[in-house]
Amino acid sequence: MPMVTHPEFLPDLPNWSRKTFFALALAAICFAFAFPVLWLILTSLRPESGVYYVHRGTEFTLGNFKEVLGQERIIEAFINSAVISTLATVFSLLVTVSSGYMLSRFTGPATRMWFGTIYIFRCVPYISWVLPLYFVVQAWGIYDTYVGLLLPHIAVHICFFSWLMKGFFDGIDPSMEYAAMIDGCSRWGAFIRVAIPSALPAISALAVLCWLFTWNEFLFALILTGNRVPVITVVMAQFVTEMGLHWNLMAATAVMALLPAFLIALFGQKYVIRGLRI
Amino acid sequence: MAAISLSKLNKHYGSLFHAVKDVDLEIADKEFVALVGPSGCGKSTTLRMIAGLEDITSGDIRIGDRLVNNLPPRDRDIAMVFQNYALYQHMSVYDNLAFGLRNKKTAEAEIKAAIDRAAGMLGLHELLQRKPKQLSGGQQQRVALGRCIVRNPQVFLFDEPLSNLDAKLRAQMRIEIKRLHAAIPTTSVFVTHDQVEAMTLGDRVVIMRDGRVQQIGTPLQVYGKPANKFVAGFIGAPAMNFIDVSVRSAAGVTAVEAEGLRLTVGPADASALAAHGGRRVILGVRPEHLVLGEGAPGRGFDARVEVVEQLGSEILLETRVGGASVTAARVPAETAIARGDQVRLSAQAGRLHFFDPETELPISG
Repeated sequence: MPMVTHPEFLPDLPNWSRKTFFALALAAICFAFAFPVLWLILTSLRPESGVYYVHRGTEFTLGNFKEVLGQERIIEAFINSAVISTLATVFSLLVTVSSGYMLSRFTGPATRMWFGTIYIFRCVPYISWVLPLYFVVQAWGIYDTYVGLLLPHIAVHICFFSWLMKGFFDGIDPSMEYAAMIDGCSRWGAFIRVAIPSALPAISALAVLCWLFTWNEFLFALILTGNRVPVITVVMAQFVTEMGLHWNLMAATAVMALLPAFLIALFGQKYVIRGLRI
Repeated sequence: MAAISLSKLNKHYGSLFHAVKDVDLEIADKEFVALVGPSGCGKSTTLRMIAGLEDITSGDIRIGDRLVNNLPPRDRDIAMVFQNYALYQHMSVYDNLAFGLRNKKTAEAEIKAAIDRAAGMLGLHELLQRKPKQLSGGQQQRVALGRCIVRNPQVFLFDEPLSNLDAKLRAQMRIEIKRLHAAIPTTSVFVTHDQVEAMTLGDRVVIMRDGRVQQIGTPLQVYGKPANKFVAGFIGAPAMNFIDVSVRSAAGVTAVEAEGLRLTVGPADASALAAHGGRRVILGVRPEHLVLGEGAPGRGFDARVEVVEQLGSEILLETRVGGASVTAARVPAETAIARGDQVRLSAQAGRLHFFDPETELPISG
């Protein structure tokens, strides 16, 4: 592989000042992103009386977590969110991987039409889908069910992630699949036995993105679910009640909802980045 | 083993691009044929149609006595080597080699024996457990060759397999392919844009341009008797010199003339040029057929040296003769010569080519 050297950023500054500059800039950026999270974690550890004076008091408690975890509805919401995220990921990947492959490898009217469809749906503002989806879901009698939330999520995933998947397959040399076809595979065989294994890092990265997308999603969940299928993002918002705002409980729930993303950042980051690079 | 026959083969992409035009080609059993031409000439498309990776717009392809027009690649009993090796990145070298045979449900013991044999021929034994990414370009291409051999197909197809290698390795692999073909004589089609590869490897060379076959012949035929000006200029390095000349006949002596140049031609050329008396034709003469110094009478001309390329073994001279630039090769490396010098060059007898400026076809008796 040829070595490419890029020109340095801010070449006129002496080395030490450039280093200092980058260190400060990095710290500032990290702080900007981390501060709200740190504040949230701090809030989750304060008693209800202390939430408005997070930066002052010295009283810390795990009581918020205990109280939240004691609520059956919140446990149920966590489970629902996890199940829906997982199912949405599995089902959407089934479509996304093959549709991305089609967009990357084939030309013709079918591909163009599919591309156009995805493009249009991507351009429509996310929020304007909500109301029509509500009517559809009502009409089909799947309001406030797993399926009623799953289907829209899968649709969104397909529209958003087929493009990413197309990009991944564009980066994989198709002659590998031709070789497989000559070596005895059908077109599908070449896709399944050669193209998919080569794209596996990308597919895993995409799986993570899909999962987090659904886990974090609020708008569809708010409109398309009610009491029967509580999900975590919606339940979190329900700490805002007529009786007042339970910031401490909300923060505790939010901290727990952060965990999957946090774990992925901690352990899976390397793989996600590698996958997104191919 | 099988012969390949292409008849009236055509490939259209949409209505605008006619990539391959009426290609007829008969390749004998065990023959090694090189398809050569500039990029976009349709050679790769032709190969991919033989492989079944590209649909045929019209025409027929036969491998052996089977019409394969509509057969998928896997049923054509062929093997192919690609420019970028196309090894299965997620499999070890061993599994790469075994892939085709496993698809044929061959017994593992038999697969192992076949791989052993191929690995022995190509020196792959110590690489078998590695992944393609851990191999150099040359090693990867040897694995790709191995993948073809183990399947023992009727036909080998090569799609510019040496283009990604550096010059030294390319020369090595060329010899390796030649040796392989001698050891396992299998009908082979080799696509390349490099005329040296085509000439050195092919039993016969097929020169293509703009989707059309220009000439089919042995290396000696296409070099010595090019079918048109394009072939003459494409085959041979450095490329043939072309000079616009006019034909003059007087007192039984025929000569071609241009500014600063007057060459008398031999009797065979003279009779061919008789019909072109007084008209303009294109003189073609290869750099290696121009020698320094006064040769036979009426064959010499003066040239001004513009560039001296010292190769160590010989010198290439880029010179100017009147309005034309003329390259001369085979000048002895020790010759003291410099830019701006005036030199005497002469053309070897019987090595002149003449082309009709309109049709670009050779004028021959």
